[in-house]
Amino acid sequence: MKRRLRDVPWAVVMLLPSVVLIAVWTVYPLVKAVQNGHLRCDVTGTKCIDAGWGRYWDVFISAEFQHALGVSLKLMALTVPAGLVLGVGLAVLADKHLRGIGIFRTIFSSTVATSVAVASLVWFVLLQPQIGVFADLFSGWFPVLKNPGLLNDPGTALLAVAFSSIWANLGFTFIIVTAALQSVPRDLYESAYVDGAGNVRRFTNVTLPMIAPTLLFVTVVLTTRALQTYGEIALLTGGGPNPEKSTTTIPYLIYGRNSIISGDLGTKSAAAVLLFVLSLALALVQFRGLDKRVHYGR
Amino acid sequence: MRTRPTRVAVAFAALTLVAACSGGGSITDSGDTQPPAGESTVADTGGETTVAESTTSVPADSLPDCPTDALADATGTTEITFWHGMSGPLGEELTRLTDAYNASQDKVKVSLVQGSYEETADNYYQASADDRPDIVQLPEYQVQAMVDTASAIPVGKCLEASGFDTSAFLPTALQAYSTAGVQWAMPFNISNPVLFYNKRVFEAAGLDPNTPPASLEEMRSMSQQIVESGAAKFGLSLESGFDSGGGWYVEQWFAKAQEFYVDGDNGRTTRATKVLYNNQTGVDLLTFLQQMLNDGLAVDVGDNSQTGYDNLLKMADQTEPAAMTINTSASLGPVLAVLGSGQFPNINANDVGVGPMPGPDGAPGALIGGAALWMVDSGDDVSTAATWDFLTYLVGAQVQSEWAVATGYVPNRTDALDLEPYKGTVAADPRFAVAYQQLLDTPDAPTSAGPVVGPLRQIRSVLATAVAAVFNGEDVQTVLDAAAEQANGLIADYNARN
Amino acid sequence: MAADTVRGVRKVGRYTLLVVLAVIVLFPIYAVVLQALKTGPDSLDHPRSLLPVDLTLSTIKAAWTQGNLGRLLMNSVFVSVMVTLGVVLTSLLAAYAFAFLQFPLKGPIFVLFLATMLVPAEVTVVINERTADSLGWINSYQGLIVPSLASTFGIFLVRQVFLQLPGELREAAALDGVGHVRFLWEVAAPLSRPTLGALGLFTFLGTWNAYLWPSQVIRGDRAHETVQIGLERLKNNDISKINLVTGGLVVAALPIFIMLVLFQRQLVRGLTAGAVKG
Repeated sequence: MKRRLRDVPWAVVMLLPSVVLIAVWTVYPLVKAVQNGHLRCDVTGTKCIDAGWGRYWDVFISAEFQHALGVSLKLMALTVPAGLVLGVGLAVLADKHLRGIGIFRTIFSSTVATSVAVASLVWFVLLQPQIGVFADLFSGWFPVLKNPGLLNDPGTALLAVAFSSIWANLGFTFIIVTAALQSVPRDLYESAYVDGAGNVRRFTNVTLPMIAPTLLFVTVVLTTRALQTYGEIALLTGGGPNPEKSTTTIPYLIYGRNSIISGDLGTKSAAAVLLFVLSLALALVQFRGLDKRVHYGR
Repeated sequence: MRTRPTRVAVAFAALTLVAACSGGGSITDSGDTQPPAGESTVADTGGETTVAESTTSVPADSLPDCPTDALADATGTTEITFWHGMSGPLGEELTRLTDAYNASQDKVKVSLVQGSYEETADNYYQASADDRPDIVQLPEYQVQAMVDTASAIPVGKCLEASGFDTSAFLPTALQAYSTAGVQWAMPFNISNPVLFYNKRVFEAAGLDPNTPPASLEEMRSMSQQIVESGAAKFGLSLESGFDSGGGWYVEQWFAKAQEFYVDGDNGRTTRATKVLYNNQTGVDLLTFLQQMLNDGLAVDVGDNSQTGYDNLLKMADQTEPAAMTINTSASLGPVLAVLGSGQFPNINANDVGVGPMPGPDGAPGALIGGAALWMVDSGDDVSTAATWDFLTYLVGAQVQSEWAVATGYVPNRTDALDLEPYKGTVAADPRFAVAYQQLLDTPDAPTSAGPVVGPLRQIRSVLATAVAAVFNGEDVQTVLDAAAEQANGLIADYNARN
Repeated sequence: MAADTVRGVRKVGRYTLLVVLAVIVLFPIYAVVLQALKTGPDSLDHPRSLLPVDLTLSTIKAAWTQGNLGRLLMNSVFVSVMVTLGVVLTSLLAAYAFAFLQFPLKGPIFVLFLATMLVPAEVTVVINERTADSLGWINSYQGLIVPSLASTFGIFLVRQVFLQLPGELREAAALDGVGHVRFLWEVAAPLSRPTLGALGLFTFLGTWNAYLWPSQVIRGDRAHETVQIGLERLKNNDISKINLVTGGLVVAALPIFIMLVLFQRQLVRGLTAGAVKG
């Protein structure tokens, strides 16, 4: 007992920096946002009136939030499966001892070096309808690249954002899955080979189960990133194009310069809290699904 | 194991579905007790009741004073901060002018902070009183919101205190930044939309390259000739950015037609409570543009607020160019510079023609665009006086002459016209005079001051959405009515909060 | 013989597929770099030439000066290094407390820490912006750095490594009269160097790439802008800078490409660290 208490001063000193920082920059803003969420304020956010807790429901069912939620879910649907399949496909393809395979691995990992801003602007430049490379090379086959441009057409803008995201995340997925593939014991493949399993069956029966935890992890990361998509939207479309505002995700609704609630602190807070609830639902998957048992739980 | 994520996903989907079925209103609605739009500015938002003040109810003597002579007694250098929205070459020119001011005297030192207009406005509204700058440049659509922050010293007070002579200033420019007799801010950079056209294409189509269309009707007939002659794929390139084709230009066309855009005489005599743009003028105008698109005479490049130049680039497009577009006069300088560098083979700087913005039946004139300088009430007399000193420098005749030439903005005062370099530039290149002439042609009417309403920026966004829908072929009246309803909700909500 | 042929054909097929996919993945980078290395007129010709001829550094040079990129890169480096050092330090300290010290409620406190991992930055920025404002940290390095100095993920990661160190190490050190600080600094930290390296690289990259928070806390002050935010300025609302964006992109991305080539192993470890919790 005495020993336990002897460590207390040290524990306080060592935990203090983290505790203070996390309290001020993570816990406080969350609590404060929950409080602010039912306020309606003037332009400066100083004079506020209380609209009650029902405000959360009003915001949640509002046409704008529902639309943003729909966009976020659509973005998930566009980016996560495609990103996963491409990443795994490339990793499996490059998981062979071939001459020069290192070069290919480096190429497939390369997009991990692009930040959100860099990746988005790369695509922004490429997709310019009048002067972009894609419009110049491919508009014969895909007229939408020129008129009005992939990013300017309400029907394709989200797809263009998804391209950018998938491409930017490809390096990450590739690296993680490659690492997982390399940790699969080779003798498992050999015994499967001896059993007469073909390539496909070896993949489904050996590889897939062995890398399942990794795939789950990648899925969670990609899903989270999709839900938190802000920079891509700010740089590629500004939440547009009109009339549908087809790329206004929830984070863009909250933080976007062109957002209809920019300058409305109470509503921004309410939307942020709702985003938190959604993230929580996703985190549930993370904490349950990434449980260590998954390794053995086949 | 495998079932768990699925279960969560199902719950997730169910949540969305529930919400989708319950059919919510707008995110900006003030709640169940929202007053009928346009009836009242009193809103009970659950609990307290607040009464929004009308613009007229700010008594002039309750506004902060402007001690413009406090600098004389001050010792040392007073440092002031200026938040502005000028990027690129415009920002470089403003920096040059500010450096010159700093070098010319040692009583005041100005430092600049640059953002876009939207950033500057957001940052200003979110900043606590201590973090505000001494002077801030905000565009015309922020007038009401700025007034409602109650953080500014009206420049009218300074004009009074210092006896500053405004007789040379363009009356429309001053008018744009005053409500109910209070001159709130000083117009600094003035722009208005003008028509850019490719003279080379006009010639090829058999049109006079020196006669741009004077009216909307002529713009259509010329487009017809251009398209039919094969001189260009399209006559006109349209866009629907909130700060241009989707919002601002519509306000311009309303002014040309001498129609109010919002009630309360454009919010200038009483606080605005509703928009008027879904009337016959609005419907006719958008129907006209929609028709040009349907007939293949115009092309829609979409929302250009991301770049601000998609419609201009359409004129330089090497495969499917447009012959004309409408853009702010402020882009004239940069456009000529880019085209002058020879990047685009089918149009160079000399091919660019500039004409007044065509109006219905050739109605002339334009609303003031651009931005004004606001004096921020710091409570410190010396800072205020220093700020005023810098402000009067920026709106002085000589600076305005230099500023206009470097940027394409219109000088805000007539005596700047006779000063170099503006005088020589306009003589050599009359394109720089078009926007100014357009302002001089503006009729003396109450509609020539443009709308003032708190959430004008959001209202523009709403209308931009509607304009994009119209360009996509939807029914004009239906779309405008829906947009008006949404805008009126924004106004009611804003008025209830401020 | 036949089997060899089949294998050969397969090999050719696999290479072909690899090459095609590599071209697709690399094309965006290639096209942008190429555009950055050409002069304005050449870069916009029609039909577009994709051959690397007539290259020049003039666009990149113009982007460098007009975008103030030297300063922006310095800012990004400074902020990222400070955050990285801070995170490694705070993580070491807190992880040490959780791994080696005895104190009441240790388990619940640790769970509370973990719980804060559930709060994404996208939720807290609304309020943090105002906190930064009331501290006077808008447009400052403090504003960019301080809020990121603690990382629950980092604490978790380092604690895992500490727990794997043999318990006798600490007991033996304690008998020798070695205090906590010396033990942390001379034994525990050096033994967990690979993890610290991975955490450091992970944090550095995250900070370097951060977009949302810098875009909100830096409001138009070019002296404190990070390179990610500065890139946006090159793009926005200025027709005369259409090409400069490409130059800016090359300058902004190059340091990270180089770093990743140099620290490939740490990167893989850092990225996979999240995957192998426990």
